Amino acid sequence: MTAINNECPYISKNKINFTFDGKNLPAYEGDTIASALLRNNIRLVGRSFKYHRPRGIYTCGIEEPNALVQILSEHNEPNTRATIKRVYDGMEISSQNRWPSLKFDLGAINNILSPIFSAGFYYKTFMGPKGFWKNIYEPLIRKSAGLGKPPKNFRSKSIHQYHNTDIVIIGGGLSGLITARKFVNTKYKVLLIEQDSFLGGILKNSNKVDSINGISPLEWIKETEELLSDSKNITILKNTLVTTYNFTNHLVALEDKYSGRKIDLKKSELTLHKIRTSLTILSNGHIERFISFRNNDLPGVMLASSFEKYIHRYGVIPESKPVIFTNNSSTFSLLKSMTSLGYKPEAYIDSRKKDEIETEIKKFLKNNNITSYFDSEVEGCDGNKKVEKITIRNGKNYFKLNSSMLCVSGGFNPDIHLFTQSKGLVKWDKLIASFKPDTSFQRTLTLGSVSGNYNFKKLCDEINQKLSFLKTKKANLEIKCNVTNKFSLRELWETKKKKNSNWSKSFIDLHNDVTINDLKQAITEGFDRIEHLKRYTTNSMGTDQGKISSINSLALVSKLLKKEIAEVGTTTYRPPYAPLSFAAIAGRSTYEFYDPERKTSIHSWHLENNAVFEDVGQWKRPWYFKANNDETMHQAVQRESKMLRQGAGILDGSTLGKIEIKGRDALEFMNLMYTNAFTKMKPMTSRYALMLGEDGMIKDDGIICKISDQHFIATTTSSGAPKVLADMEEYLQTEWPHLQVYLNSITEQFSTFNISGPKTRDIMARVFPHIDFSNEAFPFMTFKNFDYQDTKIRIMRASFTGELGYEIYIPPKYGLELWEKIFSCGKVFNLIPYGTETMHLLRAEKGYIVVGQETDGTVTPLDLNYNWMIGKNKKDFIGKRSLSRPDTARNDRKQLVGLLPINQSDMIEEGQHIVEINKLPNKIKNPIKYLGHVSSSYHSPNLNKSIGLAMIKGGNNLLGQRFFVTVSGNTKNIPVEIVNPVFIDPENKRLTS
Amino acid sequence: MSKIVSISGIQVTQKDFHQIIIRGNGSEKFNNIIEEKTSIKPPSINLEIKYDSNYLFGKNSPDQWSLILTGKKNHNQILNLVSSINVNEDLLASDYSYGQVYFEIHGENKDEFLNKLTHFDLREEKFPKGTMAQTILARVDCSIYNLGNKYLITCNKSFEDYFQKRFKDSANLN
Repeated sequence: MTAINNECPYISKNKINFTFDGKNLPAYEGDTIASALLRNNIRLVGRSFKYHRPRGIYTCGIEEPNALVQILSEHNEPNTRATIKRVYDGMEISSQNRWPSLKFDLGAINNILSPIFSAGFYYKTFMGPKGFWKNIYEPLIRKSAGLGKPPKNFRSKSIHQYHNTDIVIIGGGLSGLITARKFVNTKYKVLLIEQDSFLGGILKNSNKVDSINGISPLEWIKETEELLSDSKNITILKNTLVTTYNFTNHLVALEDKYSGRKIDLKKSELTLHKIRTSLTILSNGHIERFISFRNNDLPGVMLASSFEKYIHRYGVIPESKPVIFTNNSSTFSLLKSMTSLGYKPEAYIDSRKKDEIETEIKKFLKNNNITSYFDSEVEGCDGNKKVEKITIRNGKNYFKLNSSMLCVSGGFNPDIHLFTQSKGLVKWDKLIASFKPDTSFQRTLTLGSVSGNYNFKKLCDEINQKLSFLKTKKANLEIKCNVTNKFSLRELWETKKKKNSNWSKSFIDLHNDVTINDLKQAITEGFDRIEHLKRYTTNSMGTDQGKISSINSLALVSKLLKKEIAEVGTTTYRPPYAPLSFAAIAGRSTYEFYDPERKTSIHSWHLENNAVFEDVGQWKRPWYFKANNDETMHQAVQRESKMLRQGAGILDGSTLGKIEIKGRDALEFMNLMYTNAFTKMKPMTSRYALMLGEDGMIKDDGIICKISDQHFIATTTSSGAPKVLADMEEYLQTEWPHLQVYLNSITEQFSTFNISGPKTRDIMARVFPHIDFSNEAFPFMTFKNFDYQDTKIRIMRASFTGELGYEIYIPPKYGLELWEKIFSCGKVFNLIPYGTETMHLLRAEKGYIVVGQETDGTVTPLDLNYNWMIGKNKKDFIGKRSLSRPDTARNDRKQLVGLLPINQSDMIEEGQHIVEINKLPNKIKNPIKYLGHVSSSYHSPNLNKSIGLAMIKGGNNLLGQRFFVTVSGNTKNIPVEIVNPVFIDPENKRLTS
Repeated sequence: MSKIVSISGIQVTQKDFHQIIIRGNGSEKFNNIIEEKTSIKPPSINLEIKYDSNYLFGKNSPDQWSLILTGKKNHNQILNLVSSINVNEDLLASDYSYGQVYFEIHGENKDEFLNKLTHFDLREEKFPKGTMAQTILARVDCSIYNLGNKYLITCNKSFEDYFQKRFKDSANLN
């Protein structure tokens, strides 16, 4: 029966209420879920992963393998460690991995069927019959896998906080605090990280230390915390768990900002600290390990130091008369803790021989009249969903004890998880029978029990010696202990089993339900390497990463293989140290901040005018504008296209890349970067240009404005802008460093408006009455600069629609005002805004290509019949040599053609194949001859028929021929005719009108 | 100027400045031209900045400088300055005035606040007063200038909305 330690100073007396599986329960502020459940005498907390065995609370910390619960009131967060998570008023918790209830779980049948679920059963059981894996096994396994239920529809908020610091101390226990005190008011910037809600560690978890410098541990912690808080160079992070230790001393730590409090949905719940430090000091302590015996998983079996922690930290004595089973002297502290509160264990079982045990302990047991059994061990325990009887083996004799709790201590493992994550090397220490840090790979120090030093009296010496290379004060503390400093231990990993049944199991990994028999079987089957064995049995692969069991399994395997443990080696500890939620990793890169958004200076106008946006890289570009709420995209695009060709339309082209190129050798540079020849090009004219890769394939296109031989402005595609600029810089720096040329991206310096349509000139004349837009004064592909308000604008005559058109470049500050002015002037000419989809339709009617749509990295200018864009007399340009390769000069390469469905109302789909047959067989047994693919397809409102562009093998020679375009989900193909890709104004009369 | 964030220990204000990006080789001739046109000698040490109440001149990289004019100016004055620099074929000046946005971060918690958005090491010994850096803030390329009691952050105008929201979000979520 649970008892209460009323002397516990750490727990608040404020009563709160929470629910567990729907039952309302009282607790105190400061309780964890586990301490609150124990306070309510609840032992059964969950069901195990594979066999659905009843499980209770095994530990009092992050190492917990059993007590995982679902927090209904926190976005339905699953797999939360009850031993860590603090309760608050109104918290709703449920147990997991059970159906229909925790007490009666049908899944427990797995325990009876356990012989078929032995090690590696996945690999053996589901081999056949054919088709069963996909249709039966996999769905079944997926349904039953996992513990908790994943959360749905939540918006968990977490932020990231970066730190750059000199020293990080991980662990605010005794050694961490002594270390931190050395840095008080020094030049070092220090971050002290503690996973718990308060500092002190073992000082608060046990009564092992009596006094420090003559004051009680509690007073000393208080004094130290004040000292550290006053020191400006030290920051303390509580409720923060270091999960990851990366290369170059980069640490990741998760802070629970609402530990013990109800979440405020408007604030961030978690902070993921990303820390870069010069030196990492690990003082993160140790973890107690268990001993394997029959039914060592029954609710009621608990690690001895955890039992003690519940007494001191939470004021809960989980059981007033437990049995203690140990192989070392550490449980002396528990004995003292219990007796000091007026309780004593039902029995004390020690596997050591009497003469191996310290006299002090034996005397204590005798003086307190505690029933003791030396050179004895627990054979196993039995009970219905909890420990009821404990079987003890003493020599050849077996006897039973009645108790509902068994406190076990198999020794302590230095918590080397983070040290090994840092790639530090460990070595086996026979004295503590565990691995401890040996050689650091990074600037890492280990202090205290993580380094294998369990002697408090030697702690200051260790810290002073290891930190002697830093300019710090000497730590000189007198630590008086309540218990022996000797750590005598007799190796014991498993006890002899008397009974064998399907129900009785001796576990080595409680989280993943791995038994000692599984290990034995795996070794018998040849998995004698520890890494293979781990994967085959899933031993220590649970979310607890085998914190209390991995060393035990290594020891057992070494015995089975008849090798030294050091020879067997360790498995690799991988980050994270403990699970962290995806929300924490994502930080603010979710929902509205999933990807940074770029907006043009006209964005607000687009919003007001019912623009539907599409993402082009990070840019938000109007896709089309809805005339009314009922208008579909197709209707909008058809309307916009038609109105533009009849009147005028304007596109926000601000996202187009713009690069300013200047220098003595700018002309030569441009001639090298682009296929076109710019030498004879007149100043203040512009030219459509192609940029190729070294392989001769089209990489980007744009319009080049030549201001002079030393000064150019190039436009690029919206998404290609950064790459084009980077490529230009790279060529300048690596291939042509002799060229004196400088580049600046000026994409953002100009809002760009593309206005086109037969009425454009009239509109432009109204907007800019002082400018002569006549053909003679402002011919096609020329540009001019003009004064506008207190700035300058550039107007270029160019068009991507095939109509008369101008591009206006204006600083963004003035963009919106000018845009609105254009609309005001264009109203009488039915000027409409249009989006990118209409732009695509219009350019397809004109037969203009879009890089990335007609081209796909395998298309040369010759494939597009853009031979006219290649400066044939130029000595060199990027990709020139590749254009004369036999493969790129082939006549049967895929070439750009136009497509017209024979039935003019047939719509062909982009990406579909072009084939010779009108119908595909129902089952394709032999390859169908592939001629090419449809790259663009639209219904043209101006031609009143469907049109398409395609890349077809030898397309230039196929004009007038008929082929077929495949249809998704249908075997009947659409007949099409191959035509010239220019559907509108092949003579360019509109462009030059 | 507009206030974006104003909470205890952190103030973020958006400013209206002009800016010219200058590319060149940093030679004596280059320095003379710039000094002649701007009356300011360009900084010669990489990532160094010179500043007073009217300007901020930073050397961004071995061949790039940013001149931010913090005093009131007419845009045409800036464009004329750009044109006059560009007369010389050995260098390139581009007007960046309205293609960039400018945020000033003040307050005792400015480092901690900014380190919610950037991994950049703001410690005095790593990022001293009078220096600048080009780094990532809220996953966006930006420049940050350390002016001692405040930082000036510049980034592309298209990210203005996003940046304002991120600043506010970081302040509110704390």
